[in-house]
Amino acid sequence: MSDETGPALAALLAESSIRLAETASDKEDAIRQVGAALLEADAIDASYIDAMLERERSVSTFVGEGVAIPHGTLAGKDSVKNDALVVLRFPDGVDWDGNDVRVCVGIAARGNGHIALLSQLATVLLDPDRAAALRAATTSDEVYELLKPDPEDE
Amino acid sequence: MATIDGTSIKKLIVACDAGMGSSVMLASTLKKQLAKNGVTVEHSPVASIPSDADLVFSLAGLAERARHTVPDVPVVPFQLFLGDPAVAKIVKAIQNGESFEV
Repeated sequence: MSDETGPALAALLAESSIRLAETASDKEDAIRQVGAALLEADAIDASYIDAMLERERSVSTFVGEGVAIPHGTLAGKDSVKNDALVVLRFPDGVDWDGNDVRVCVGIAARGNGHIALLSQLATVLLDPDRAAALRAATTSDEVYELLKPDPEDE
Repeated sequence: MATIDGTSIKKLIVACDAGMGSSVMLASTLKKQLAKNGVTVEHSPVASIPSDADLVFSLAGLAERARHTVPDVPVVPFQLFLGDPAVAKIVKAIQNGESFEV
C-alpha cells in the first residue's frame, strides 16, 4: 500500500479485500464471492449475502462503466457488523443482465464512513480514462490511488 | 405532469432502498453539479425521505415507494447512474434557472 493512502481508506478497504484476478460463472456467483469477501473482512453476518441477492433481484446495482456495487437492502443493514468495502475484479467479465461487469465494489455500511470513497468512485466512473484504469487495475496500489477520497470532498 | 420552476429547488433527495450505494454515488455527483445553485443534495432510503424535500430522484423500481413516502413531493425515476437523460435534463434546467416538467 502506498504511503499516502489515508488510514481511513485502508480501514474501510483492507488490502486483503482487494482481489483483482477473480472469475465468476454468473452474476449470482460474483455476488456470493463479494459477500464471502465481506464475511472474511468480518463486516457482515452471512445473512447479509441473502440481502445482497435480494437487492439485486429488485434493482440492479450495475452503475455503468463495467462496474457494479453489490450491497444489501435496508432490512439487511442489521446484518452489518462493521462498515467495509471490498473490490473484486473479474478480468474475463461477468454478464450482469446484458452488461459486461469487470469490477464489483461490495458495500457493507451502517454508518456514513464509506461515503467519501463512493463519492470518489463516482468521480472515477465519470472520467473514462480513470474508469478504464480501474477496470484494468492489477495491483492494490492502483486501486487505492484511484479510490483515495478527494480532499475537497467532505 | 407538473411544471416546476428550477429556481424553486433547494433540497433534492436521491433515494434508493438502503441509502447505501448508488444513491450515495449519484448524490455526490449532483452535489458537485448543483453547488453553485444553492441546492442541498442528500441521499436517503425511500422509506425515510424527508417531507421538506423539493424534488426526489429515485431508482425506477423504487419510485412508487418513494411517492408513497412523500405524496406531495415530485418524484423523478432514473435508470442509469451515469448520464441518465431524465436526471441530466433536470440538472440542466436547475443550473439555468429554467422550469421543467415532471
